[in-house]
Amino acid sequence: MTHVSIKDLTKVYPGATDPSLDRLSLEIPSGELTALLGPSGCGKTTTMKMIAGLLEPTSGDVAFDGRSVLNDKPENRGVVMVFQNYLLFPYMSVADNVGFGLKMRKIPAAEIKRRVGDMLDLVKLPDLGNRKPSALSGGQQQRVALARALIVQPNVLLLDEPLSNLDAHLRFEMRDLIRSLQQDMGITTIFVTHDQEEAVVLADRVALILDGKMKQYDTPDMFYKRPVDEATARFFGGHNFIQGVSDGRMFDSALGRLVLPDGATTGPGKLTFRPENVRIWHNETSGQNTLSATINDIIYLGTQTRLKLLVGETPIEAVVNPNEIERFTTGDSLPIHLPKSTLWVIA
Amino acid sequence: MSDRVKIFLLLLPAMTIIVVLFFGGLGIGLMRSFNYMPVIGLTEPDLSAYVSVFTDREFYLSFLLTFHIAFTSTVISSILAIGAALLLRRSFVGRGIVNFLFQLNLTVPHLVGAIGMLYLFSQSGSFARLAHEFGMIQRPSDFPALVFDPYAIGIILQYVWKEIPFIGVIVLANMQSIGEDYESVARSLGASKWQTFRFVLLPLIFPGVLSASVMVFAFTFGAYEIPAILGANFPAALPVLAYRKYTDVDLAARPEAMAMAIIIALLSAVMIYFYVRYSRRRIRG
Repeated sequence: MTHVSIKDLTKVYPGATDPSLDRLSLEIPSGELTALLGPSGCGKTTTMKMIAGLLEPTSGDVAFDGRSVLNDKPENRGVVMVFQNYLLFPYMSVADNVGFGLKMRKIPAAEIKRRVGDMLDLVKLPDLGNRKPSALSGGQQQRVALARALIVQPNVLLLDEPLSNLDAHLRFEMRDLIRSLQQDMGITTIFVTHDQEEAVVLADRVALILDGKMKQYDTPDMFYKRPVDEATARFFGGHNFIQGVSDGRMFDSALGRLVLPDGATTGPGKLTFRPENVRIWHNETSGQNTLSATINDIIYLGTQTRLKLLVGETPIEAVVNPNEIERFTTGDSLPIHLPKSTLWVIA
Repeated sequence: MSDRVKIFLLLLPAMTIIVVLFFGGLGIGLMRSFNYMPVIGLTEPDLSAYVSVFTDREFYLSFLLTFHIAFTSTVISSILAIGAALLLRRSFVGRGIVNFLFQLNLTVPHLVGAIGMLYLFSQSGSFARLAHEFGMIQRPSDFPALVFDPYAIGIILQYVWKEIPFIGVIVLANMQSIGEDYESVARSLGASKWQTFRFVLLPLIFPGVLSASVMVFAFTFGAYEIPAILGANFPAALPVLAYRKYTDVDLAARPEAMAMAIIIALLSAVMIYFYVRYSRRRIRG
């Protein structure tokens, strides 16, 4: 169990003017599963490599349980990194790959064999020890890479895009496997991903990094309910941003006067609400936050249907169940309701 | 025209050269080595040329010397080439220039290099004179024998000088295409720098090193001109010995020359086979 503290971590690559990572600070509690989320090139992998000691930071610190590890060599940090493309050693058998870390520690061969067997059982690949990595599917290679990392009982496990190379049906299987192994072994785990869905399904906490800077570090639901700014909300699929003024209780904008939840910021800002929280055909009796909208466009997306609506001149987006598509025709007018708890004001 | 016919026609010129010149030459050489040479009235093939090669003590000495030249040159140039590639793949100021200088002698012919060696390292060469000038030796002829010497040091120096960039360029390209991520994985799994090199990088670049070093071995085992220029008179390297027999005034020595050429070819094939087998097991096993 290791508590990871990252303080003002900065990386400027030689020859670059802008930092690839700009003063990132994070406290990752022992045993937690944290996602570093951001688009490609935002500095996530750079962060991981600096935690692993594979890259030297320009400034800042990485500490485990309060002790700086910057001067520790990568092999002495107790950090294992699993790369996105697995990087199994192609000339070794699966068993030799899994046992690699133990062999480097000069553990006796008999013990390596036993522990490799146990580990392959744990990742549900008991009979594949003698195969070469090239004879495995992507999902199996991923599990071997995970087994190879976990067998050395790392203090910190780093995963680079752990689910993105997998088919949809394998993603959930792998998600469950990673979560259950991580919980059982209590390893502080950090993974990077560009996919907000991957971050949300896997992580206890998500750190969103945009342009080398951390935007928000929170539990996954808060990125939907309480995004810190428009870029953050947009990254999580937010579409509705209405300019206006808040007095802390009410928001005045082109949509009219809407009731805000407690704790809303005051002053000029943008009102945001998720398309899936817009209630259509809703008979809100009190009339609070109820508006009249016109359907401008209907977009069928298979698992959902998006409605492009106009409230007066202001465009907003709503998501409805695809089965309800017959109920809507372009040009229809209909009442919509914006529940106050789903509204949020950002600067 | 079907694809098969097209491919056949396209390959024809190259195949003609290979079949006619290579196998043709090999066939004629083989016939002559069996003492079959109708021009001078030898029409009954036999093995006498082989018998006389294998009963000659000089042949064994020459074989040992040639093996020593090829093996030592290959091993030293492979090791130094890997070291050079490890340095050259890092980024540092002036890497472009260093890289250029490293590859420069690829364009220098072996023969020119050998003459350079002669000028520099012979007992009447530049280094001997310099050493004498600075009073390090009494006479230029006290300079250690580095050419025409029994240990073939001059020949090996020449091959090493010439083959390091050859193997190095192949290994460097290999390393660059592999990237450094495998090594990062190994380091994070607890391997030291040395372990990472030994158990990860070396096995990964091994196919490249193997093919380059096999080429170097085959070349140095069968090459004539360098041992002819820089080698001692006795024992001479096998190709030199074969050539001497071939140019012997006695036409009857030719079958022996041919037998020796065939033996050189077979020996290098057999040695390469065992080298590939053994080294693959050692590095990747």
